Amino acid sequence: MLPKPNRRSGPAAVASLAAAALLLSACGGGGDDDNALHILVVKHPLTGPMADMAWTAEIEKAAGIPIEWEEVSADWDQKKSTMLAAGDIPDLVIGANAITDADMVTFTGLFEDLGDDMDSLPNVQAMFDALPETELMATRPDGEVFSVPSYRRFWPETATRQYVNQQWLDNLGLAQPTTWDELHDVLLAFKTEDANGNGDPDDEIPIDWSPAGEGGFGYFQPSVFLGSLGLPITNGGGSGYFVEDGTVGNFLTDPRYKEVVSFLHDLYADGLVSPEVMTQDYSTYQSVGRGDGDTAKVGFSWGWTASDRFGPQIADQYAPIAPLAADASVAATDLAWTYDSYSLNYGVNTVTMSAQSSKKDAALKVIDAFYDQDLSIQALWGDFGTNIEEGGNGVYTVLPPADATLDSSSWKWTTTLADNSPGWIRDDIEVALPADIQEAVEDEEPIAGALANIDPATDIWPGELIKMNAEDSSRLSLLHTDILGPAMQRWATWITEGGVESEWDAYTAELEGLGLTEAVEIHQKYYDEYLAAQG
Amino acid sequence: MQRLSVKRGPFAALRRDTPGDLVFKALLALCSVLVLLVALYPIYFVVIASVSDPTMVSTGRVWLVPRDLSWFGYEQILADERIWNGYRNTLLYAVAGTALNLLVTMPAAFTLSRREFRPRRVLMFFFAFTMFFSGGLIPMYLLLRDLNLLDNWLVFVLPSAVNVFNLIIARSFFEHSLPEELHEAASIDGANYFQFFAKIALPLSMPILSVIGLYYLVQHWNDFFTGLVFVRDYSLQPLQIVLRDILISNQAFSGGAGGAGGAGAGSYAQQYADQIKYGVIVVSTLPVIVLYPFLQRYFEKGVMIGAVKG
Amino acid sequence: MTSATTVRPAGGTAPRRAGGPVHRLKRHFRRYWQLWVMVAPAVAFVAVFAYVPMYGLQLAFREFDFAAGITGGDWVGLKYFQQFFDSPQFWNLLRNTVVISVSTLVAGFVAPIGLALMVNQVFGRRRKKFLQTATYLPHFISIVVIVGMLQVFLSPTSGLITRVVGLFGVDDANFLGSAGAFVPVYVLSEVWQHAGWNSIIYLAALSSVDPQLYEAAKIDGAGRFSIIRHIDVPALVPTMIVLLILNMGNVLNTGFEKIFLMQNPLNLGVSEVIATYVYKIGILSNQFSYATAIGLFNTLINFAFLVVANQIAKRVSNTSLW
Repeated sequence: MLPKPNRRSGPAAVASLAAAALLLSACGGGGDDDNALHILVVKHPLTGPMADMAWTAEIEKAAGIPIEWEEVSADWDQKKSTMLAAGDIPDLVIGANAITDADMVTFTGLFEDLGDDMDSLPNVQAMFDALPETELMATRPDGEVFSVPSYRRFWPETATRQYVNQQWLDNLGLAQPTTWDELHDVLLAFKTEDANGNGDPDDEIPIDWSPAGEGGFGYFQPSVFLGSLGLPITNGGGSGYFVEDGTVGNFLTDPRYKEVVSFLHDLYADGLVSPEVMTQDYSTYQSVGRGDGDTAKVGFSWGWTASDRFGPQIADQYAPIAPLAADASVAATDLAWTYDSYSLNYGVNTVTMSAQSSKKDAALKVIDAFYDQDLSIQALWGDFGTNIEEGGNGVYTVLPPADATLDSSSWKWTTTLADNSPGWIRDDIEVALPADIQEAVEDEEPIAGALANIDPATDIWPGELIKMNAEDSSRLSLLHTDILGPAMQRWATWITEGGVESEWDAYTAELEGLGLTEAVEIHQKYYDEYLAAQG
Repeated sequence: MQRLSVKRGPFAALRRDTPGDLVFKALLALCSVLVLLVALYPIYFVVIASVSDPTMVSTGRVWLVPRDLSWFGYEQILADERIWNGYRNTLLYAVAGTALNLLVTMPAAFTLSRREFRPRRVLMFFFAFTMFFSGGLIPMYLLLRDLNLLDNWLVFVLPSAVNVFNLIIARSFFEHSLPEELHEAASIDGANYFQFFAKIALPLSMPILSVIGLYYLVQHWNDFFTGLVFVRDYSLQPLQIVLRDILISNQAFSGGAGGAGGAGAGSYAQQYADQIKYGVIVVSTLPVIVLYPFLQRYFEKGVMIGAVKG
Repeated sequence: MTSATTVRPAGGTAPRRAGGPVHRLKRHFRRYWQLWVMVAPAVAFVAVFAYVPMYGLQLAFREFDFAAGITGGDWVGLKYFQQFFDSPQFWNLLRNTVVISVSTLVAGFVAPIGLALMVNQVFGRRRKKFLQTATYLPHFISIVVIVGMLQVFLSPTSGLITRVVGLFGVDDANFLGSAGAFVPVYVLSEVWQHAGWNSIIYLAALSSVDPQLYEAAKIDGAGRFSIIRHIDVPALVPTMIVLLILNMGNVLNTGFEKIFLMQNPLNLGVSEVIATYVYKIGILSNQFSYATAIGLFNTLINFAFLVVANQIAKRVSNTSLW
């Protein structure tokens, strides 16, 4: 099994072997002087090989030279930083935010400024003209265009929908809650009685939410209760920035945040919140929501759609409901929610080009081809014929999955680049949407009122439209790491153990000391510039 | 052959058990069973979890026997043709890598163990220093690119040729287990260092050779990082990368279902994520686990040392 | 028994003081060229793959400037070290890191020794082998799965361990969600995973104990515990010392991935360590210089501990790494 060095010349053999190996390696490996266009594509892990997507043939035709796809579906961040720092990138990099704003400021000179090449990118230019916000998303503070975003148009305005188990309400003869107090009562009933009717009064989890990490807030979290007090947030809360009357603030030190935390602690103290809410991972959160066969486990929660959140088997037990008011004094016209349209309907930095590319023309042609009307829709939902039926005159029907075991969203991710693709879905085409998007739009109905109360132009922090310079963005990432640690820690302990009332003042002072004011001021500066540019 | 009796344990010669011995034995048995249970149960859990319905597992209802038997995880893993290529690659890297490791490490450890060899202290420092200070990934990447080792299978073998920890362990073994008289005797017989190393030192070092060989082998077997950072050609990727990709493509996406990264992705996928995760452990570690008992027989050769000394 | 440890070269073979330096060098190579040949490949590999890239360390003292190349950025001296020391998190990070790593080192050092001594006592080759194989199995489980298993076993609602401690009257134990339980959970799971694997090296050392020593001890009427103490333990001492010195060089090292995966907002106060902080602040936002500086700080402290431990070991037990 184990090698035995030759008795006489063992060490000499070692030396010559090492030398030979080095020599061998020097001869092995080839240069990159082939004439193919190299495109690195950051795919969703579910997505199959590029070679299986028929539409890539169109892209190759546009390029005029063969394309070599380098496909990455895991650990892109780790791979990327070394690759970029060594200056070793392929002609094009494709994938939603595959190259980030931070990369663009750090690796100066690595990416091609497409601003000079707009003549070769008629489709992209047309998108910029039709949708000025896409140009805003593409343009650096100094005017360069290192990347082009995508536009998907049909996605809803929020990722987070609110669900209550209607069957449990009916079993117990209760009405849908509309205020925090009513919610509290409903959850108490879920807890004390056998709401799911399986004979065990203790197996119900009245309320559960998606775990908030140390990096801030996200989708499906009770940060949407800030909307119960009239505070609109974006993307589930993020690092806490919001805009009110032209002034940027951070809700982490806002009294309304304190109220939400205090309410959540009341729920937790009554045993209404899953005890694992702070420690479970997303998979556990999801699989607990799926219940046990036909028996649901969770009474009230948030999710993308009912079938995504609770699984197809028990999804119809759940009803989407409107945002709650903190109390009866909050009018329906004041209610707010989380506004996520910029991150759902647009994909930032979906395509980037190497400044050192020796096949510039071909690369530009490929970029532009991705923004072609037919290719955009195929890259998003799949090939004509198998995934999409083309009706002509800008009418398209997205077909149900050919593989009956898959839901429509998994089918999309399996067969095409989907949301990772660059592309521009025109506003004047007609598309019969797949079931998953339809469900998301339908379940958004009860939230529509609250969303209508939010004017995206003035009521939210438009993070996706604002590009910061290198100094400010690195300063902010430093500040945020320092601020969010203690803030999220307090969020978790206050809800589970209480103490928000007594510790609030010390806490706000601590966050100030960690630079929260400075961080808000940086945001304000950019927001003012953004408003000025809007005119 | 008489020495076989030794293998029955150090106390085989004891004929009669004193009361103290009995207490000792009872205690030993108790501890062994406890240790076994603690070590094995979680492994057993992984195995039964890999064939049970994932919801049963995540809600804590699988403890002693598999529930709602499902082979989906294994079907998914083994149906992936990339995995066989991954196995082949890993086998090549592990065998070639370990061979080179031992060829380089054992002679070096021998040199460093020779007390009469004055420069050994400087050399040891030269080696130990690299356990702590490293230039980081970027210079490494540039170096490998200049040596044409990127996208080259030798990148799995050459840069990791010496593990200083293993070198130190081997040196320490040579220092403490090779009696000085042996070298003196060999010198009188006219043996030079090469001959002494090959004919006497190495045969007496089988226990440490097998331990270090195993350490190296496992290091290569589990190497995930090299493929991740230095290799873009998928046909060269080792098993660990392939398994990681299979694992990830069946993972629930903690970014939330709605984001641009995965709007509603994987109602199907996340359901089986855990099952595949457990299956992957079984598939990826089985070969190493099976191999070890074969290596272990070298341990017993250790008793020879006593014989030589006596 | 192994011969007494002497670090200094035997007087008889030391080169004489005759001749000049060149002459001495010639004599040295004539006498030891074979030893040089044996160590040369290892030296070459380490020189190429470890020393050549080391120029990257200067990044800690320079502004990372991609356009100017790795070594082309402006020299900023200790700016990034200063930034780290001034960070509001610094003392907290340092404390957490030391607490976690030292408790892991202590427990992780003692457990394999105990295990090896125990396994060595077990009668019967098969049983011994089985026990040994069983205990090293957990080593092969990936960190992601270990953390997943911790979540399953420690779940406050359904976890096996939670239920077992519930039998002993500890109700509603939430091991994952309490700051106090983080370090014990981390350390015990480390020990569980690696004690068996790390005991292999000690078992190898025990296997080279001269069986006649046992016979002699038995004839002297020594008890079992006394045999362990007077024969087995001394046989392990050289390995123990070497590993102890090497461990001392890890005082500021903690497993990044496992801690990162085990982190949640409830335990962040004790679970944020240097490695996770560097990841969050340096790697995720391309702050290469800052990350390199923190890494270098870490290394320097570790190296200092190693050097001190090595000196002490040299004095006390006449064993040393160099």
